[in-house]
Amino acid sequence: MGEEAKEDFEPKIIGFTCNWCTYAGADLAGTSRKKYPPNVRLIRLMCSGRLDPMFVLKVLLNGADAVFIGGCHPGECHYIKGNFYARRRIAAIRTILKQFGLDNRVRAEWCSASEGDKFARIMKEMAEDIKKLGPNPMRGKIL
Amino acid sequence: MKGTELKYEDLEGLLKGLLDKKTVDCLILPHKVGNNVAYMMVTDKNKIEPPAPAIFAPSFSVNAANIVKGWTIKEKIGIVAKPCEIRAAIELIKLKQIDKESVLLISVDCSGAFKNQDYADHYGEIGDWVDSAKIEELKGKGIAIREACAICDHRLADVGDIGIARVDGEKVLVTGITDMGLDALSAAELSLEDKEIERKGEKEKIAADAKKKEEELAKISSMEELEEFLRDCIVCKNCRDMCPVCYCKECFFDQPLGNPVGGDLLNLSKLRGAVGVPANQLMYHLTRVYHVSTTCVGCGACEDACPKDIPLTRLYPVIAEKVQEIFEYVPGRDVEEPLPFVTYEEEELEDKLR
Repeated sequence: MGEEAKEDFEPKIIGFTCNWCTYAGADLAGTSRKKYPPNVRLIRLMCSGRLDPMFVLKVLLNGADAVFIGGCHPGECHYIKGNFYARRRIAAIRTILKQFGLDNRVRAEWCSASEGDKFARIMKEMAEDIKKLGPNPMRGKIL
Repeated sequence: MKGTELKYEDLEGLLKGLLDKKTVDCLILPHKVGNNVAYMMVTDKNKIEPPAPAIFAPSFSVNAANIVKGWTIKEKIGIVAKPCEIRAAIELIKLKQIDKESVLLISVDCSGAFKNQDYADHYGEIGDWVDSAKIEELKGKGIAIREACAICDHRLADVGDIGIARVDGEKVLVTGITDMGLDALSAAELSLEDKEIERKGEKEKIAADAKKKEEELAKISSMEELEEFLRDCIVCKNCRDMCPVCYCKECFFDQPLGNPVGGDLLNLSKLRGAVGVPANQLMYHLTRVYHVSTTCVGCGACEDACPKDIPLTRLYPVIAEKVQEIFEYVPGRDVEEPLPFVTYEEEELEDKLR
């Protein structure tokens, strides 16, 4: 893909966010009029522990360019320990994806309901990173 | 460690004793079938053949743990099998697929196994037992052990309840590893004495060898290579069925979402313009890699089961090892050790998330 095409490339990011923190954080970013690129499509989960790593696989195989996972800071889970389990699962699926060079398209962050700034910053960073990385190699493949 | 040295032939007496004294209600044992070796479940002690030719045979038919998957009845079963099979059984105990009190796990030394066809074809040259020198010699003649065995570093009989180690000549060293194992050996009227079994040097040599062999394996390092690797896969799911630690009663890939047929398949094709069939080939394997990532013991049953001869050892055990490394987990090491996904540390893995 040439440089010009890369310029035009708008990544599609799927974000899985926890109802109690990152989703509210995203809401706060919106209500306080923080600007961030519109590349992310959020899917609200009740907890980052609800994230089955199959979601991540499906998202990437179906051609989205990146996956964002947002959860409560460790120790602050609404369900006490959901994000601790999530952390282990995400670490495992990223280790697997690393073998195929896809791990840099998956990013998990802890972001509380009061961290609208942080959410906007992460989204900005991610959009830039993925733009540099280029489209997902699985995009448009017949699977 | 408590144990006793036995003559090779006396193993028959030990196994008969286990059945005779009702220590176990049945035994899963390897026995000779023609030039090859298969498992049998035996309840009548008179049916036990001299185990000598079969017990150390370098052949892998099915993972014995797969046979006892779902063994949750009170009757006790003894399994005489290779370390990988015993380790798989220990993982199944943790996954609550086998009742811990209903199994007596007896591991035997393994030097690596040949594919069934290779073993049967070259039985004359291979014989009933091989050591590492013999494996090298046979490799020179083009008869190689399975890739899964070549990269395996758990070949010594130090897992399960009882270990049967091969010492030089015609002798074996039987050791009780757990209390259950020691009780079983006492019940079979073996005189147990303190035996120093120091095999650290051997273990290190095996590990170094295995690591070298693993580095020589062809790598799958991108999605394109993975697609090419799985090109011939027909999604028959034999690798799942023969995998000892893949245990879901209702597999996702047997359900409409994972295995779309008829209208579902047509809709999928309409949605995407085209869909590869059989559907979900890549998704199936990647999901399975994740599902067995912490529990895969690297027995190579998946590769043996593949009708298309895809060398699945390069996918499942190799990647699973990487995942097990980050949790410092070795499947089958200790039955009391929790599975990585059911436990956590408060501070860990932050460098693996982004």
